[in-house]
Order: sequence, then structure tokens, then C-alpha cells
Amino acid sequence: MSEYDCDKAKAELEEFLHGELCREDAADIRAHVEHCADCSDEHRVGQVLTEAVQRACRETAPEDLRATVLARLRDLQASH
Amino acid sequence: MITAPAPEEALLASLDSALMSTSDDATAAPAEPDERQLRALFEEQALPFMDQLYAAGMRMTRNPADASDLVQETYVKAFAAFRQFQQGTNLKAWLYRILTNTFINTYRKNQRNPYQGTIDDLEDWQLGGAESATRTSRSHRSAEAEAIDHLPDSAVKDALQKVPEDFRMAVYFADVEGFSYQEIADIMKSPVGTVMSRLHRGRRLLRELLADHATSMGMTVPAPATKKKKAASTTSGATTGGDTDR
Repeated sequence: MSEYDCDKAKAELEEFLHGELCREDAADIRAHVEHCADCSDEHRVGQVLTEAVQRACRETAPEDLRATVLARLRDLQASH
Repeated sequence: MITAPAPEEALLASLDSALMSTSDDATAAPAEPDERQLRALFEEQALPFMDQLYAAGMRMTRNPADASDLVQETYVKAFAAFRQFQQGTNLKAWLYRILTNTFINTYRKNQRNPYQGTIDDLEDWQLGGAESATRTSRSHRSAEAEAIDHLPDSAVKDALQKVPEDFRMAVYFADVEGFSYQEIADIMKSPVGTVMSRLHRGRRLLRELLADHATSMGMTVPAPATKKKKAASTTSGATTGGDTDR
């Protein structure tokens, strides 16, 4: 089970974080991370980084953009 | 008197008549929605993605006016092609593909970026030595997580803008939009391996930039520990400032 060593875990942490590992591999790496303080810290940095990017990238489209797009779609259709 | 037609024949007969009747009385294919229905469907399904597309446009073009234009063009193109969109497949990914194409064809040309196109070939040291980020000590790492967690959004945005575009967009698609590596490969028209490499390098660069920023703001991201755990396997230099040269 914990045949996952740190090198292998660190190499795959990013895929783990993005949900790209198959179920067995994900379970193995999760088990390793739970018991390895070092990999757990590394995983934590990865998660925090993802969350920071998510927070920073939130945007709301300007009010008038929606109206402009709707108007253009209508024009486009009228010209058919 | 004789036997009833075999089941197959009956089936064929009824099929025949069905075919006859459609070709007789239906001039337009009944499944095709009319223009008005199509637009209503498009508006209902595609417009809810506007904020997200705009956010991606902001990461691509770096300014609100261009991001708005890009989103507009994306919707116009998507609507024009909407009949080709297969209902039930991933509309969001389809819209992002159009957005990315539009960006590359109309905006990227105008940007000065000497690296574009060859960026994947650059070595990490040419990108500013992000290599060291994962080779740090434990206490450093928990301080790093803490620092990243407390950075203002503006700092994260600034750092993102410094990450080369293809890397940045891979990070955006994976971390913000939650697309799978395969979906990102489709959107960026690149092999999955390239996507993984861009994502990895993009995140490493970002991490490095954020650590620099935190340090410059006086947030304590302690210098990488001098006592190495095991052998610091690769090059990184025997002593202290491994990831703070410059």
C-alpha cells in the first residue's frame, strides 16, 4: 500500500490535485500524503496556490456586454 | 388462407410506408429547430458562461476593452456555428475553444512577445529558474502556504500576467475552470503531454513569483533552510540562497 515513496508522490501530486489519477493511484497517494508530513505540506502549497488563482481570477462581465451580445445575436439573425 | 407475412416483412412494410410518407409531406426536416428557437436555445445555454469567458479573456488580453471585444466575437462565432454543436456534448469546452481560437487569430498577433511559439522549448533557467520551488524545507513550505493564502488578489493577478501566456492559460483552464487535461489539450490544440508540462511549469513559475512578492512585502517566507534533509539530489548548489538568486 504505502509503497508510495516521496519522489513518486511529489511527481504525481499535481495530477492528484487536478483529479487526473485513476482511483487506485489516487487512493495510494492520498494514503501516503496523510502519513508523510513533508508531502502533506507540499500538497497544501499546491491547494493554496489553486485557491489563490481561483480567487484572483473571479470577474464579472461589464453590465453592457450582455446587452451588446444579445443585440448582435439578434442582428445576426435578422440578416439571415 | 395462407400464412400471415413474416414479422420481418411486416416491419419492412411499415418502414417503407413511413419513409414514403416523410418524403411525401415533409419538405423541411422536422428535427431542425427554426432560427428563433435556435437563438433562444443558444441564449439559454451559452450566455450563462459570459462571466467565465470574460474572466478568461481578461487573463488573455489583460484589459477590459479587449476582453469585452473578445467575448463578443466569441459569442457571434459560436452562434453562427451553433447548428454544428452537438447537443449533449460539452458546451463550455466548445465555447472556450472558440474563445482561444479567436484570441490567437486576432489578438495575439498584435502582442509583442518574442517567446511565443518557442516558449515550450525554453529551459527552466531561461524562464527565471523556477526549478527550486519544490526543493525547499518543511518549515519553509508551511510558511509559503501561509503567505500565498494571504496575498491580495492583485498580487496574484500581477504574478499570473508575468507567466508566459501558454503556461498561464493552462493554469487558468485547469485551476480556475477545472477542465481535464484532455479538455485543455482540445482547447489549446496541443498534445496532453505538452499541456501537463505547461501546467507544471506555469504553476512553478507562479509559485516562485508569489514567494518573491511575499518576501518583498515583508511577509516572512524564510530563506530556504541550510540544513538539507536528505541529499539535495540535483544541482541546486550546496548552500543557502538556492531560490533567491537575483
